[in-house]
Amino acid sequence: MSVLTRAESAARAETGATRADGRSRKARTKLPPEEPAIPQRKGGTAGYWLYLLPGFVLLLVIIVIPLIFNVYLTFTKWRGVRSPEFIGLDNWAKVFTDEDFWTSFVNSIWMVVAMVVLPTIIGLVVAALLFDVVGRKFGGKVGSFLRATYYLPQILPIAVAGIVIGWIFRPGATGAMNQLLGVLGIPPVDWLGQMPSALLVLMAVLVWVQIGYPIVVFMAALQRVDPELYEAAELDGANWFQRFSAITLSIIRPEVFVVTLTCTIAALKVFGPVYVITQGGPAGATLVPAYYAYTEFFTKRNIGYGATIATVLTILVVIVSIIFIRAQSSLERKERAGL
Amino acid sequence: MARITKRRTLAVAGALAVAALALAGCSGSGSDSGSDGDTLKLWHYESEDSAMGKAWNEAIKTFEKETGAKVEFEEKSFEQIQKTASQVLDTDAAPDLMEFNKGNATAGFLASTGLISDISDAVDEYGWADKLAPSLQTTAKYSEDGVMGGDTWYGVPNYGEFVGVYYNKDAFAAAGLEIPTTYDEFVKVLDAFVAKGITPLAEAGAEYPLGQLWYQLALSKADRSFVDDYQLYKNPVDWQGPEISYATDTLKEYVDKGYIAKDVSSVKAEDAGVSFINGTAPIFVSGSWWYGRFVEEATGFDWTMTAFPGADLSLGSSGNLWVVPENAANKELAYKFIDITMRPEIQAIIGNNGGLPVAADPADITDAKSQELIATFNGILDDDGLSFYPDWPAPGFYDVIVQELQGLVTGTQDAETTNANLGAQYDEGTADFR
Repeated sequence: MSVLTRAESAARAETGATRADGRSRKARTKLPPEEPAIPQRKGGTAGYWLYLLPGFVLLLVIIVIPLIFNVYLTFTKWRGVRSPEFIGLDNWAKVFTDEDFWTSFVNSIWMVVAMVVLPTIIGLVVAALLFDVVGRKFGGKVGSFLRATYYLPQILPIAVAGIVIGWIFRPGATGAMNQLLGVLGIPPVDWLGQMPSALLVLMAVLVWVQIGYPIVVFMAALQRVDPELYEAAELDGANWFQRFSAITLSIIRPEVFVVTLTCTIAALKVFGPVYVITQGGPAGATLVPAYYAYTEFFTKRNIGYGATIATVLTILVVIVSIIFIRAQSSLERKERAGL
Repeated sequence: MARITKRRTLAVAGALAVAALALAGCSGSGSDSGSDGDTLKLWHYESEDSAMGKAWNEAIKTFEKETGAKVEFEEKSFEQIQKTASQVLDTDAAPDLMEFNKGNATAGFLASTGLISDISDAVDEYGWADKLAPSLQTTAKYSEDGVMGGDTWYGVPNYGEFVGVYYNKDAFAAAGLEIPTTYDEFVKVLDAFVAKGITPLAEAGAEYPLGQLWYQLALSKADRSFVDDYQLYKNPVDWQGPEISYATDTLKEYVDKGYIAKDVSSVKAEDAGVSFINGTAPIFVSGSWWYGRFVEEATGFDWTMTAFPGADLSLGSSGNLWVVPENAANKELAYKFIDITMRPEIQAIIGNNGGLPVAADPADITDAKSQELIATFNGILDDDGLSFYPDWPAPGFYDVIVQELQGLVTGTQDAETTNANLGAQYDEGTADFR
C-alpha cells in the first residue's frame, strides 16, 4: 500500500492537483505563480460568452428543441403526418404495463453485462498483461500490434460484421459454426433461433466488438505509470496479481470510470447489432428498448409511443450517468481525505 | 460600457440563433421540383433486369416518343420509399408518379392522409377498370379511412402475384411420388419424404414464408367472409375460431412431424429459396416472385408450381401500385404514362419475363413456362381466389406474426397463447381503421 501512496503523491505533484478539500472553487482556478495571467478586459467576462454562443445555438437546435418535441410527442398519438392528437398520459400508462417493454428492459441488463462488465474486466487484465508482461519482455511494438488487433472489431462496420456473424451462426449444416461442430461429431445447433443461445451469441458478439475500446484506453492510462514502481514492487516480492491490484488498478481508476460510464450508455442504447443479427427475435428474446422504439416509430407508426420509450431510455441514461459521476466524485473525495 | 457590451453580445447571439434556425429550417426545402410541364418525374423500385423493370423501361421509351416529354427517372429502393414517402410527399420534392406498396398500412395510409390523389376520373377516362379483375381492384381502391376495397381509386396495378407450391418433379420421381392434387395427397407426400429422411418443406421462420404458410392453412378452412373480416374489418375476427386455430395447430404439427426443420425459426426467406434451388428441399410454399429466379437458377431439375392443394383461396393480390402524389406537378403526364404501361405490348414484356401481367393478350405470351404460371394465376382470378397477405391489416403486424410464430415453433408458447397474442396485437393495430 505504501507503493500506491507514493505513486499517487507523485502523480498529483506532477499534474499540479494540490487541492486538499476538493471544494474550494478559488483553489481550482488559481494559476501557478509562474504562469502569466490572461489579460481581462474591462467589463468582466461577458465578452467570452460570444465564443460559446455557436455551441449553445447548436445545442439548442440539435439537442434541446428535438428533446422537448420528443417529450411533447409522448402525450400524443401521431402517425407521422398531419397533426399529432393529444391523448394525455395514455402512452405513459401503457409503457409501464407493456410486457414487451419490460422484456426489452431486462435484456438491457444483459447488454450491460456484455458491453460493460465483461469487456472492462477482460480489458483490464489484457491491458495490464500487454503493458506489464508483453511490453517488458517483447518490447513496445509487440504490445502495440496486439492492442491494434484487439481494436479491429471496433473499426469494422456492424452491418458488415452482422452479415458475417449471421453466416457463422446459420442454422442447419451450412453454418460455419455448425460445420465446425460437425467435425467434432456434435449435432448442429440453431444458434439464433432459440433461447438462450440467441442471447448468448448476441452477447458474445458484443463482447468481441467492445473489447478493444477499454484495452486502448487502459493502455494509454498505463503510460502514466512509472516503470520503477513495478520494479520496486517486484523487488519487494510482489507477484503479478499484487502488482496489478496495487499499482495498475489504483492508477487507472479514473479511466475505468470513464470506460464504464460510456459503455453503460452505449449498452442501454444498443441498436445496430440487434437490428442486423436478430431483429429482436426469436419471439422477442433479444428485444432491446432502442430497437423496440424503432419498430414503434417506423413499422407500426406509433410515433407517440415510440417517443415515450425513447424518453424513458433517455431518463434512464441520465440517471445512470448522474450515479456514476457522483460515485466517482465521492471516491475521489474519500481518497483525498485519506491523504 | 458594460451595458453596451452586454447588449451587443445579445444582439450577435440573436443574429447567430436566427441564422442557425434558418439553416436548420431550410435544409429540407427549396429543392427544385424538376417539373416544368414537359418532364415526368418518376420513382420506382423494380430492378432493371426484373420483368417489371424491363417493361417500364420500354414504357419510358414509348412515352417520350409519343408525348415529346422527358422522363426524369429516379431509382429508389423499396425500403426507401416505404419509410420516407410520407415525409417527401408532403413537400414540393414529390414526384409526379411513384410505385408504392399496396394495402391498408401502406397505400391506404397515404390515401387516408390525403398525400396521394384520388384518380377515379382518370380510371374512368382511360377505362383501366375494365382491364382489372375484381380482386385486383380491391387493393387499388380505398375508403376515406384508408381501408382497401373502398370506392375511390388511389392506384393502378400493372401486374399480380400469388402464393402457391413449388415442387421438385425430379425429387418426386426419384421417391416414386406423384405431384399432389388434394390436401390429403399433399400430407401423404410430406409423410413419405419424412419416412425417407428428407425434410420436405423449405421454410423460413425469421421472415415472411412461415407466416404465409400459416395464413394459407387458415384460408384452406375459410371462405370469402373470413377474408373480408380479416382484411376489410367487416366483422371482428375470432382468433380462437376454427380457421386460425386450425392454422396454428397444423403449423405446430408440421414442425413436430418433421415436415419443416426444427431450426426453422432463424432461417431467412433467401435461405429457404436457395434450399429449393439446390434441390435440398423438394417442396416450397411461396410466391410467384420466385418464379423468374427459379427459371434462371433451378436448372438442375424439372419443377412446377400449382396453387395450394385443396384450397379455394390463395394468398395474393395485385402487384404494387402506380400512385400519383397530391403534390405532383404533372398529373396528366402521369396518367398518360400509366396508360402506356397497361398496353398489351408492355404487358407482354412482363408476362414473357416471369411476371404476371394483369392485362396481357394471351397470344403475346410466347414462353411456355410463363404460360403455365399465367394459367395458374388466371385460374385463381377466375375463382375470385386472391386473399391478400396476413400482415396487411395493421401497421407493423408483419413483425408481430414473425415473432409470435417463432414463439410457437420454438415451443416457448402454445398455440392458444400464440392466437391470443396475435389477436391482441391485431385488435390494437386495426382500431384506427374500424
